[in-house]
Amino acid sequence: MSNLVSFLVVFPLLVGVPLAFVTRGKVRNALVVAGGAVIALASLATAIAFGNGSAVFFGLPGDLEPGLAVVAAEAAIALVVIVVSLQHGRRLAPVLATAQLAIAVWLEVTGRMPAADPARLFGFDRLSMVMVLIVGIIGTLICIHALGYMRDYQRTYPQTGGRRQAFFPLLFLFLSSMFGLVTANHLPLLLVFWEVTTLCSFLLIGYTRTGETIGYAFRALNMNLFGGLGFSLAIVLLAAQPDGLDLARLTAGPAGAALLPAIALLALAGLTKSAQLPFSSWLLGAMYAPSPTSALLHSSTMVKAGVFLLLRLSPAMAGSAVGNLVAFTGLLTFLFVSFVATTEQNTKMVLAYSTIGSLGLIVGSAGVGGAELAWVAVMLIIFHAVAKSLLFLVVGTLENRLYTKDMEHFDALLSRMPRLSVLALAGIAGMFIAPFGIVLAKWSAIRAFLEVPGWQGAAFVVILAFGSALTIFYWGKLLIKVLSTQAVDAYHRSVEDRVTGFEWFAELSHAVLVVILAASLGLLSESIVGPYARGLFPGGTGALLHLDPAVVSFMVLAVLFLPALALWSWRKSAYDVNDFYASGRTTNGEHAIAAALGGTRAVTLRNYYLVGVVNGEAVFRAGIVVCGALLTGMIVAGVVLRA
Amino acid sequence: MNPILLAPLFLLVAPLFGGLLTGVDRVISARMQGRVGPPVLQPFYDLGKLLQKDVRPVNPIVEPLLLGHVVFMALSGAMIVGGVDLLFTAFVFALAALLLVLAAGSVNSPYSFTGAERELIVLLASEPFFILMLAAVSKVTGESTFAGVLASPERVAPILPGIVLAFLLVATIKLRKSPFDISTSHHPHQELVRGLTSDMSGRLIGWVELAHWYESALLALFVLLLVNWSPPLALGAFLVVYFLEILVDNSTSRAKWQLVLQSTWAVTLVLAGGNVLALFLLRS
Repeated sequence: MSNLVSFLVVFPLLVGVPLAFVTRGKVRNALVVAGGAVIALASLATAIAFGNGSAVFFGLPGDLEPGLAVVAAEAAIALVVIVVSLQHGRRLAPVLATAQLAIAVWLEVTGRMPAADPARLFGFDRLSMVMVLIVGIIGTLICIHALGYMRDYQRTYPQTGGRRQAFFPLLFLFLSSMFGLVTANHLPLLLVFWEVTTLCSFLLIGYTRTGETIGYAFRALNMNLFGGLGFSLAIVLLAAQPDGLDLARLTAGPAGAALLPAIALLALAGLTKSAQLPFSSWLLGAMYAPSPTSALLHSSTMVKAGVFLLLRLSPAMAGSAVGNLVAFTGLLTFLFVSFVATTEQNTKMVLAYSTIGSLGLIVGSAGVGGAELAWVAVMLIIFHAVAKSLLFLVVGTLENRLYTKDMEHFDALLSRMPRLSVLALAGIAGMFIAPFGIVLAKWSAIRAFLEVPGWQGAAFVVILAFGSALTIFYWGKLLIKVLSTQAVDAYHRSVEDRVTGFEWFAELSHAVLVVILAASLGLLSESIVGPYARGLFPGGTGALLHLDPAVVSFMVLAVLFLPALALWSWRKSAYDVNDFYASGRTTNGEHAIAAALGGTRAVTLRNYYLVGVVNGEAVFRAGIVVCGALLTGMIVAGVVLRA
Repeated sequence: MNPILLAPLFLLVAPLFGGLLTGVDRVISARMQGRVGPPVLQPFYDLGKLLQKDVRPVNPIVEPLLLGHVVFMALSGAMIVGGVDLLFTAFVFALAALLLVLAAGSVNSPYSFTGAERELIVLLASEPFFILMLAAVSKVTGESTFAGVLASPERVAPILPGIVLAFLLVATIKLRKSPFDISTSHHPHQELVRGLTSDMSGRLIGWVELAHWYESALLALFVLLLVNWSPPLALGAFLVVYFLEILVDNSTSRAKWQLVLQSTWAVTLVLAGGNVLALFLLRS
C-alpha cells in the first residue's frame, strides 16, 4: 500500500517535470497519454490492492519521518505565493501565506509540534479508494482532453502561446497533490497537500493572465489561503491534544468540547475549498479559465478536497452546534445558488452554480451526519465527479467550436452537433435527470431529514423541496435548447468534424462511465458506499442503504432514455421536417416567418430567466450575508462551547 | 392485495378513470356555459380517432419524448401503488412532466416554445408542494409506501390542514385549469393557440391526452393518501375538488406567470411549509 500510494504521489511529478520542457506537440501528446494511462492503471491497482476492507495505516517507505520536510514544503509554497503576489502588487495573499508559515515554524521551533507516529502518516479506507479512483481516472481523462482543447484555445487566445508548457505540468502537480490529500492521515502533512492544490488552482485560473483572470485567480488564492489559515490554527489547537493530529483518531466519534473549536476551524477550511457561500465567488471566477481547468476544479480535485475533509469530519461534528451550522450553510448555499442559476445565461456559470449547489448538498449531509447521509454524500461525490466533468468538457468543446458559452446560442444543438449533443445529454441525464447527481441524493436526503427532530428537520425538508424545483427549472431550459431542431446547412454540420480525437476520447469515456455507474448502482451501494457509510456511523439503522430494485431499474432506464433518444433522432436526421405553426404566416423551412412587403423575419426564441421575480445578484448577496453570519456563528459556537 | 398486482391494475384502470373524468368535465363545463355538451364517453372516441391519425412532425424527437412522457407518468402512478417509496415517485412524476416540456420546447416554434417555457414555470411552481406533501404524509404515518399509509391508524388529512388547502391550489395547476393554465388552454379563443401542443398533431395529441388521464388518476391517488382512512370518502373528496376546479376554470381568466409562480410558492411556503414545521415541532 505504502509503495502504491507513494507512486501515485510521485509519478505525476515525474511526468510533469519533463512536460515543462517539451515544446513539440507530438512529444507532449505521447507523454500525457502514456503518463495518464499509467496513473489511471496505478489508481486501479491501488484500489485492487486495498481490497475494499477496513482502513489501513502506513508511513513512508523506509519509515522516513516527514519532520522538517513539512515545514520546508510550506516555506516553498509561501515563497511562491509571496513572489507571484508581489509581482502583481497584491498584499493580502503574502500576509496570509506568511502568517501560515509563521505558525508552522513557531510550532516546530518551540517544540509544540508533537512527533508524528511514523506508521500512521497515511491512511487508506473506502473513501480514499473512491477518491483515488476519481482523481486517477477522471483527472487523467481531463488531462488527455486538454491536449486537444488547448490547441484550439491557443488559436483563440494567442497571447497565451508559450504558457502551454506550464499548463500540463500544473495539471499533473494537481493530480499528485490530490492523491496525497486523500490519503494523508497526519494533519500537517495533509495541510501541505491542501496548500499545493490551492497554489495549483491559483496558477491555473490565472493562466491567460488578462486583468480579469488575474483578479479571479487572486480571489481564489486569498479565499483558500484564508481557509488554509483556519486549518493552521486548528493544527495549533490540536497539537496540544493527545492524538489530535491523527485525522482518523480525531474523527473516530463525536468531538468533545475541547476539540470543537479545532473542528470548527477545519470545517471552515473545508467550506472555503468547497466554495460554499460566502466563499462561492472564487469558483465562479474560475469559470474564466480554460475548460479543462474548470472540469478539474469542479469534478475530481479542489472542491472535492473540501467536501472530502468535511465528510471526514462528519462523525466528529454531527449532532453538535458546529455540525448543525455547517449543515445549514451547505443547504442554504444549495438553495441560494439554485435561485441564482435560474437567472444565468452563461452555460459555464449555470454548471458552476449547479456544482456549488451539489456540493452544498454534500456539505449539508456531512454536517447532519448519520449513515444515510454519509451514503448520500459519497454517492454524490462519485456521480457529480463523472457527470459534471463530462459536461464541462463538452461545453469546453462547444465553446471552441461555436465561440460562445451563452445558453441561448446552443439552439438546435441536436441538429448542428448531434454527437456532442448525445454526450451532453448523457452528462445532463447523469447529473440531474435520473440518478444521482441530484435526484437520488435529494430523495434519500429528504428521507433522512424526516428523522431529524425539531425545527431543523422541517427547515431542511423545506429547503430541499424548493431547491429541488429550481434545479429542474434551470436544467430544463438547457435541455430545451439542446434538443430543439431547425434545418442546418452542410457547413454548420461540418463544424463538429473539427473536434479533436483527444476530446472525443475523453468525452466518450466519461459518457461510458456514466452509463456503467448507472448500471452498477446497486452493486456500488451494496459493496462500497453502504459499508463505508455504516462503518462511519455504526449506530445507524441503514435501512435506506438497501436500494429498492425498482428504484435502481428506473434510474438506469431514465439515465439511458434521453441519450438513446438523441442517438435515434440523429440517425433519423434525413427525416422530412415540416414547418411549424405560425398563425397563418408562411414559414419557409428556415426558422423564419413571412413578414410584410414580401420579406422574411427570423424567429428568435429565448428562455425565461424569471426577470422581475428573481434578482440573481441580490439573492447571491443575501446568501453571502446569511451564510457568512452562520459561519461566524460556527466559529463563535466552537469557542464559546470550549470556554 | 399484493402491491405488485396493483401496479398493472393501475395501468389499466387509470386511463378509464381519467377519460371518464374528462367526459364528465366536458358535460359539466358545457352546462355551465349554457351548452348541451358531448356524450360522456366522447374523450374515448376522440382518443381512438387521434391515435389512428398520422403525424406531421416538426421535430422527429417529439414523438419519443411524448411516449416517454406517457410512460413515466403511468409509471409514477404504478410505482406508488406498487409499493415504491412515495417520495421517490415525486421525482418520477417531475421527470414525466419535464418530458412534456422538452417535447414542446424541442419543436423550436414560437407558440410551443412559449408554452414549454410556461409549463416549466408551472412545474417550478408546483414541484415543491408535491415533495412537501409526500414528505409530510410519510412523517405523519411513519410509512414510506402507499399500502403502509392506507393501513396506518393515523388519519392524515386532519393533521395536515395546511397541506390540504395548498393541494386545492396546486391541483389547479396540474389539472390545467384556469387561472393557472398558462401553458395550454382548453379554451380555443385564448392568445396562445394551444401553447404546449400547438405543433403536435394526430397521434401526438393522443399521447398528451392519455398522459393527462394518468396524471388525473395520480392526483386522485394523492387525495387517497391524504384521506387514507376511507377510500370512498377520498373518491368523494376528489370529485368535489374536481367540481370546484371546473367552477373556477369557467369563472376566471388566465393569470400571468409571475402571479402563478409567486402565489403558488407563497401558499406552499406558508401553508405547506408551516404545516411541516408544526408537524416536526409537535411530533418529535
